[in-house]
Amino acid sequence: MLGIFQIHEPDSIEEASSLLKEYGYEAAVYAGGTELLLVMKEKLAHYSHLVNIKTIPGLDEISFDPEARTLRIGALTTHRQLEHSSLIAEHAPLLAEMESTVGNVRVRAMGTIGGNLCFAEPHSDPATLLLAWDAVLEVGSDEARRRIPIADFLLGMFETALQPGEILIDVHLQLLPANAAGAYRKFSTHERPTATVAALLQLEQGVIADARLAVGSVGPAAFRAKEAEEMLRGQQPQEELIASAAESASRAADPVDDLHGSAEYKRHLVRVLAAEALDLAARRAQAEVDYD
Amino acid sequence: MTASGSGIGRSVPRVDAREKVTGQARFAGDLKLPGMLHGKVLRSIYPHARILGVDVSKAEALPGVVAVLTGADLLDIDPYYGHSIKDRPLIAIDRVRFVGEPVAAVAAEDEATAEAALNLIEVEYEVLPAATTMQAALAEDAPLLHEVEKLRPGLFHGLGELRPQGNICYQHTIARGEVAEAFERADIVVEGEYTFPAVYQYAMEPHTAVAQWEGDQVTVWASCQHPYLVRAELADLFGLPVTDVRVIVPYVGGGFGSKSYTKMEPITVALARKARRPVRIANRVDEAMVTTRRHNMVCRMRTAASADGTLLARQVSLWLDTGAYADNGPRVVATAADAAPGPYRWESFHVDAYGVYTNRPPSGSYRAFGATHLQWIGESQVDEVARRAGIDRVEIRLCNLLRPGEEVRPGGKPLDADLVGDVRKIAEALDWDSPKPPGTGRGLGVGLLAAGARPVSTAIVRLQADGTALLLVSTTEMGQGARTVLSQLVSEELALPVERIKVPGGDTNVTPYDRSTGASRSTTLAGKAVQRAARQVRDELLAIAGEHWGVAPHALELRQGAVWYGGKSLTFPDLIHERFGFSGGEIIGHGTVRPEAGKGSYAAGPVFWEVCIGGAEVRVDPGTGRIHILKLVSVADVGHAVNPELVEAQEMGASMQGLGNALFEEMVFDEGQILNSTLLDYHVPTIEDLPDAFISRLVENEDGPGAYGIKGVGEGALAGVPAAVVNALADLGIKVNELPLTPERIWRALHASDVPQRQEPIFKENP
Repeated sequence: MLGIFQIHEPDSIEEASSLLKEYGYEAAVYAGGTELLLVMKEKLAHYSHLVNIKTIPGLDEISFDPEARTLRIGALTTHRQLEHSSLIAEHAPLLAEMESTVGNVRVRAMGTIGGNLCFAEPHSDPATLLLAWDAVLEVGSDEARRRIPIADFLLGMFETALQPGEILIDVHLQLLPANAAGAYRKFSTHERPTATVAALLQLEQGVIADARLAVGSVGPAAFRAKEAEEMLRGQQPQEELIASAAESASRAADPVDDLHGSAEYKRHLVRVLAAEALDLAARRAQAEVDYD
Repeated sequence: MTASGSGIGRSVPRVDAREKVTGQARFAGDLKLPGMLHGKVLRSIYPHARILGVDVSKAEALPGVVAVLTGADLLDIDPYYGHSIKDRPLIAIDRVRFVGEPVAAVAAEDEATAEAALNLIEVEYEVLPAATTMQAALAEDAPLLHEVEKLRPGLFHGLGELRPQGNICYQHTIARGEVAEAFERADIVVEGEYTFPAVYQYAMEPHTAVAQWEGDQVTVWASCQHPYLVRAELADLFGLPVTDVRVIVPYVGGGFGSKSYTKMEPITVALARKARRPVRIANRVDEAMVTTRRHNMVCRMRTAASADGTLLARQVSLWLDTGAYADNGPRVVATAADAAPGPYRWESFHVDAYGVYTNRPPSGSYRAFGATHLQWIGESQVDEVARRAGIDRVEIRLCNLLRPGEEVRPGGKPLDADLVGDVRKIAEALDWDSPKPPGTGRGLGVGLLAAGARPVSTAIVRLQADGTALLLVSTTEMGQGARTVLSQLVSEELALPVERIKVPGGDTNVTPYDRSTGASRSTTLAGKAVQRAARQVRDELLAIAGEHWGVAPHALELRQGAVWYGGKSLTFPDLIHERFGFSGGEIIGHGTVRPEAGKGSYAAGPVFWEVCIGGAEVRVDPGTGRIHILKLVSVADVGHAVNPELVEAQEMGASMQGLGNALFEEMVFDEGQILNSTLLDYHVPTIEDLPDAFISRLVENEDGPGAYGIKGVGEGALAGVPAAVVNALADLGIKVNELPLTPERIWRALHASDVPQRQEPIFKENP
């Protein structure tokens, strides 16, 4: 049982924002509902007012700017849309690859990228990949708009940089250069992943020019394995280097014991997944293998 | 005469398929009665506490609330029930014994109001020391769950005198010969301590009941497997003659044992009694999980063998956690004891099995109980004996398996199955003698399950004037295909197409007595009653036709809804017209199955030994420890398959459930509180967990006690799977003594040298 609530159907970001301000802690944004309705059904939270932003036009669009080489993904774009969009397939196949692994087909059909990021569930798949990708999030209210790098947006477990009345509008993604590629690896025994790793590598003449490695699910929020990234830069992607970087990412993780497994096991999984992701990213960057 | 029965042995489509896939099928929760209220249950938040007071005044004052039920409303009845041990109040009286135990119930005009009212009920508890694990419950100074000298026997206990010893509510021992002597003589002794987790049946439909009183009579629509046993317990609780209680069972959305015996019906009936209006209570999944579950278990087993692999003796002690109330625990204890020796020719064995009360939700039936608990343990020890003796793991079984007619357990029914043939079939399906691809392990497991429960079933066939038949039988259709299979038996006997046979749901005022739907018994026992009922109708049709043509019945033939004499025929409507001289009337046949003391195959229990057998080929990811099931194999030793596709579906379903039990299902408790009560955290098998290949072989030796040599199916494959997987892992050198086989556990086993292992035995001393 969801309990009793009032639903609001605003026509604009401004109207939604002022509703959120008016009802404060009594209100929640209702996007795909796959996380929100679950916590309400489980009585972990109750909101007397749901602000359904699906009635705001234009929030579920994907567009590509060829000059800036950026993708703009509306906050209400569903995982399923991203999984199957031809624009995404052409310009960011790694994103589609990750999206195809989110939850299950029912969750992907209803759940949105914006809802996923704003809910800040620690086991989010998109958060891990987009953190490695340095995505930029545009948020707005009835007063102003601003852009936040995703690293500054994801603050912790169920915690984001959104201010009262602010709504996520879209996600901006800079396309990877031609000599860069990435990989996303995850391990799950339950609906939500136990550990997730995203790796992006840019190679110049066989040497890693840039490396980004993000780890998710094991702690309160996804994090970048900075030390591992440093180790990788300027080096050739050899097996030993990848193993050391993976080991570094594993050490940087701060996992906890829970139903998904012990901290020790999760730390081990990060090492395994990071090595796999880095290896696959390197091979893709050298055009040895393509995206699935 | 001959009946050209075309009813059995064919995979006719399920008779309920269209209704179910189009959403037309009705379940208990779909019922809407005029004036019906919605009930919600307030549940205990403590594993063990005294109730000092329940203040319902604020809840009663909430607009829309019609009644609030507490223990204080039950002073005029004896509110305790339990089919084996009468230890459970239908709502807490003065004490709660597990997190989730009903403390109060609200009936309101709608669900939201009922739920809101729960928050307004104030319960004052005095928290008591709790025994939330078996270790705690068996400790010397453990708090006692039920402080009585003698436990009260339930209506269907059949267990002898019940004197609890501390928190042990039931003990069952089976023994033959002297094991100590055999262990002294043995060249090979394998021993270990093993644990099996608490798991949930996870039927798609949680328990649902709707109750309506009319005067002193009550009608209950329930998602229950055993309507007649529920009727008896309700009558007993509310002091009514059984005929004043009517239990109606529409389609049931899966049972797997979770809906065996009485569950949510008593509280629903009590709430409707207080509200004086019909009440519907539908459990949520998290509520269903604290209504019943599979027993978690600790088991110590040792097996003795001679150097050549001849099995000599087995000794077993096992403790099953039955939770706060016995439910079906005693039967599970006895069945686990029966399964513990395994299907081998032992010189001696000794099994001590205990049911233990703890401050956890009650445990009851779950598909293939007992056998699933024990088979993986016993079979892993047989594999270990084979390894130490240096003989093949199939060979050791072929040498030691019981042969048909040999005693399985003292006083029980001798073996009625060709286990040697079944093991050969599994081995063949696994390509046992072919070289294994690197990194793959193969395993198999064989065992026996005491099946059939009590052999008491009745059925009525009503052949109507239009030539269609109505089959009245109280077997619950819960997805297993009972209505289809029983229709096929009538079709076979009356030579009537399946489409012309209707099987309505169970209704204790209409359909005749059947003991229960479970223990793989329906096709065998209800089916036998159905066959007998149909034969009575057939005999009467032949008699009428014989009289008409002036010939003996054996000269006649039943075909296509008619009786034939040479080229002449009389349709069933013709024959009914002939009988009654009118276009109305009907021919009724009834059939009965009962224990036939001293003769026949029902004399000594069990009704039949269900063969539990499975094989697996697996691979393990060394990085994560995840088990990949390359191949799963089952053998359905069914005597005679009425509907081969339904048999295969049963095998596949049971095997998948077995995979869940083997690989990932576990209810995790902390201080008696379940931590994973949603599908997010409790993983049941999904389409993504299917093995790469599933092979099911059918064995039809016509050696069962049912019609045409039928014996039941649906549970054996489940018990076979954990055994097969555990043995396939051991084939890869990975030894485990704890289910489920989560990736983390396998990873720990793989890295036994560099990962800290749990060293402490669960019990240091015999409890």
